[in-house]
Amino acid sequence: MTLMIALTNATAETRPHYGGTLRVMLQSAPDTLALPENATPAEYWDAVRTLSLVGDTLLKLDAQSRPQPALAVAWQNDASARHWQFTLRRGVKFHDGSAASAAAIAQILGAIHSNWNVRASADSVAIESETPMPSLLAELALPRNLLLKRNGNGLPIGTGPFLVAEWQPGKLLKLAAYEESWAGRPFVDAVEIEFGKSLRDQAIALELDKTDLIEAAPQVASGSRRHGTSSSLSLSLPVELMALVFSANSKARDPRLREALALAIDRKPIQSVLLKGAGEPAAGILPNWMTGYGAVFSAQPNPQRAQTVLAGSPQPALKLSYDPRDPQAQVIAERIALNAREVGITVQVSLSGAEDIRLMRVVLPSPDPATSLTEAARQLGLPQPGFPATRGNALDDLYQAERGSLHGFAVIPLFHLPVANAANARVRDWQPGRLGEWNEAGFSLADLWLADRLADSRGGSRPEAGSR
Amino acid sequence: MSFRKKLLLLFAATVLLCVVVISASVYSTIQRSFEQAYQERANAVAAQFRSEFQRRGSDVVRKVESVAAGETVQRIALDLNRSATDSGEYVSAARTLAGQQQLDFLELVDSRGTILSSAQWQAKFGYPEAAVTSATTPPSAGPAGAFLKREELPDGPTLGLFAVRVARVGEQPLYLIGGERLDQGFLSTLDIPAGTRVLLYQNLDTKWNPKSLLDLNGPAAGVDKIASLVARVRDTQQESQSVIHWTSDSADDEVFHAIPLTGPVFNATNQSAANQSLLNQSTANQGGASQQLMGVLLVGSSRRPLIELQRQVVSTAMLVGGAGILVAVLASLWFAARVTRPVVSLAEAARRVAAGDLGAKVEVESSDELGELAASFNRMTEDLVQQKDRTLQAERVAAWRELARRLAHELKNPLFPLQVTVENLMRAKLKSPEMFEEVFHEGTATLLAEIDNLKTIIGRFSEFSRMPQPQRRPTQVNDVVRSVLRVFHAQLQEKNRIAVRTELADVLPEISADPDLLHRALQNLVLNAIDAMPQGGELTIRTGTLGDRVEISVSDTGSGLTQEECARLFTPYYTTKPHGTGLGLAIVQSVVSDHGGKISVESTEEKGTTFRIELPCEPPPWQTGQN
Repeated sequence: MTLMIALTNATAETRPHYGGTLRVMLQSAPDTLALPENATPAEYWDAVRTLSLVGDTLLKLDAQSRPQPALAVAWQNDASARHWQFTLRRGVKFHDGSAASAAAIAQILGAIHSNWNVRASADSVAIESETPMPSLLAELALPRNLLLKRNGNGLPIGTGPFLVAEWQPGKLLKLAAYEESWAGRPFVDAVEIEFGKSLRDQAIALELDKTDLIEAAPQVASGSRRHGTSSSLSLSLPVELMALVFSANSKARDPRLREALALAIDRKPIQSVLLKGAGEPAAGILPNWMTGYGAVFSAQPNPQRAQTVLAGSPQPALKLSYDPRDPQAQVIAERIALNAREVGITVQVSLSGAEDIRLMRVVLPSPDPATSLTEAARQLGLPQPGFPATRGNALDDLYQAERGSLHGFAVIPLFHLPVANAANARVRDWQPGRLGEWNEAGFSLADLWLADRLADSRGGSRPEAGSR
Repeated sequence: MSFRKKLLLLFAATVLLCVVVISASVYSTIQRSFEQAYQERANAVAAQFRSEFQRRGSDVVRKVESVAAGETVQRIALDLNRSATDSGEYVSAARTLAGQQQLDFLELVDSRGTILSSAQWQAKFGYPEAAVTSATTPPSAGPAGAFLKREELPDGPTLGLFAVRVARVGEQPLYLIGGERLDQGFLSTLDIPAGTRVLLYQNLDTKWNPKSLLDLNGPAAGVDKIASLVARVRDTQQESQSVIHWTSDSADDEVFHAIPLTGPVFNATNQSAANQSLLNQSTANQGGASQQLMGVLLVGSSRRPLIELQRQVVSTAMLVGGAGILVAVLASLWFAARVTRPVVSLAEAARRVAAGDLGAKVEVESSDELGELAASFNRMTEDLVQQKDRTLQAERVAAWRELARRLAHELKNPLFPLQVTVENLMRAKLKSPEMFEEVFHEGTATLLAEIDNLKTIIGRFSEFSRMPQPQRRPTQVNDVVRSVLRVFHAQLQEKNRIAVRTELADVLPEISADPDLLHRALQNLVLNAIDAMPQGGELTIRTGTLGDRVEISVSDTGSGLTQEECARLFTPYYTTKPHGTGLGLAIVQSVVSDHGGKISVESTEEKGTTFRIELPCEPPPWQTGQN
């Protein structure tokens, strides 16, 4: 008998099963369940992670930028890339029981993109545009194209693995497993997300087993990984760019001064010490994993050349600001100021007054480099990169576009940073997405299960993970 | 100025001079004493701050030693001796350690002089630390190795009091450079006596920078006047002192002691020597690294207490001096009055004597020189009275003689014709009885004529002898003059070649006089003037005031008088006229004298003569009783 009980318990601890509530903590404190405009990276990731559990896009891109079916199971386009047609998955229902029909999908997409002509047919949706849309697949995979309806309270109603059960703006979101999810019912019964928790509070809560899944600063995750902890720490691919951006009224108008500043910054010590090895020194906007030509942009410091470039150019004192919510931003900004001083550029780190330079982190939201470059340029306030109208993301075009965005040193890329998550030992089969999301191609929060007694007692049938 | 006033002034000036000299001497002595005491106090305050500064250096050393001996630093030092240590792990360690020991600055530096962790500038990791890599020795300025150092911070350089210690666990030492800011926060922790303030100039720039001068609240305002003192210390690197005049009120002045704060010069290029020096810190500290001026501690002491004390002393001295002078003046008044009273009496008596009152006496109150002088004066007046009596007697005798002579002379002239006539009658009776009747008639006529002449002569003398004493009453001189002119109006009309001009004062005070006698005197003067102008001319009569006297002048344009004639003019019986008796002007002088006045004459030959009479409005005191 004792042996049977022991075997039962052992099985419950090692095999996936349904049940349990996954407790999650996030930094941001959103008032609405929607993608915010001009969001900080943390707000962006929190919104994406939350909403991607509720809704689906037509398709997803994997880390290699390959489109993967989601609500659309097939697609085709004409040679000009102006006309696209997507065949929808059959039998999918929204959380309110209504069918995710072509008409419903077309209505949602038409509302998001007023410049598109979206038409519904029997089981497909056609999208047309007057201009070529070579990157339409990457665009449709972006979180802003999540196919969500809104109920009377403005709460999202999607087709994702979880539905909204309770919403306390800025504080708490309770999600319940959607029994009729087209991807199969999630293992956990519910997800309880607490908002407005600092990274430090999240880490403490995780250590005290008061939560199951948290965000983590990349440098903390990286450092902890080196030291080894009981928590499951994961880093995504570098999906953020940290860069210096010159403001429109910056006193550093001379490109020579900007170039000298770019040459003065020694990124390696910052990456190794302050970022604890997380991320990659960067001189380009896009990370090497997206483009493969990242090494073309040299991130090596060259103080001598900086001084040579600087000779004869005006050298006003520059004010460098940073995001005070970023715990590492101040010391990184100070390090940059120190590097600048070494070559004779006066940079004062300050949060007050008119800034000349801003230390920014922007999201690279898509594994598709052209889409990420476009989005990064928008966030950085740069002109939209120019791509040939008739062709796709040819490497040369991409390189030229990125080169163009960097022209005149309007922006000085510093690092490509990953996003990090940490889960306690109770969370099993946690496969964090390589793109930083919780419901991306091949990786979903719906796939994890909880190894606790409460979960075990609830689990009636214990399907294999692959049987959903 | 009277003798009494002179004496009073002399006394007052003497007392004032003495008070001033004594006050100045006392004030100078007190001021010197106060200045000396104040200087000693300021020096004591400056010494206190030097001591305080040394103590703070010891505190810094103690804190850095405490950090170096702590478990955390020992563990880091141990880790550094392992081969695969990631120094990036310690990037925030210095900030934590500094917070525990309340140090403003703390850097962990590895054996190569590279900063592992910096509390004051966390981003400074990986940079060399000059205090370790310098070829010069770590400093010996402070006790047990505390030293001043310029520290670069993100918002600019600042000044700190530092100490270097080594945590040595294995082969590789770990250096700790910790310190405290030398700024307004440091100043606020100092025990500052009342009336004293402390400023700190951080010598961080090549030129004077007012923003680098700090007081308890940060950059000190309105202290440009200290720039010269700081510049002097910067030039000489020696202590200096200066009085700063903030306003025109000297009580606002401050004495500033400028104490140079020096620190070692670090050279970031020579690392090995630095390591060697730090490895042997006790020796290195004696190495005498070159020093540079890091700051200037300015200890300012307000002069207000001193100035106010001095002012209080001066006020008291002036009060006492003033009171002394007042008492001295009053005493001088009493003393001068006492000393000069006999002199004043003497002067008064002399004036009375000079005015003719020979009966004036001075009361002899003392037996000193003044008493003797008074007695002599009295004797002199008595002698004068006696002399006057004798002179009067002699004059009377002389007058009688003159009178006798004049009488003899006057009488002799008619007597001779009388004698001759009587002899002729006798001779005619005896020798020519037929002619006697004729001679008798002629003779009796002559006799009667001469007898009339004798009567006239006797009448004049009788008149002169009957000059009465003035019967005083308020008299308007102008009225007297006008009545005289009315008397002579007809006579002057006959001799119309004499023009009369009157210049009478519009306002003339009444005088106490006998108008009849005045009329008589003026009548004589007018008569003389008419006689002096037989060929015609101009008679001018003027009246006016002269101080408290009334002046009357009678001028003619006659032939004038010689000086000798002028001198003898008022002598009785002297006359320049062929038939004058010489009593007219004597009568005038007698009248004027009886009224307490005086008469004078001015004459220029061929131009005319002016008689001027001055009469007092009130009779002199010695005549009042007589009146």
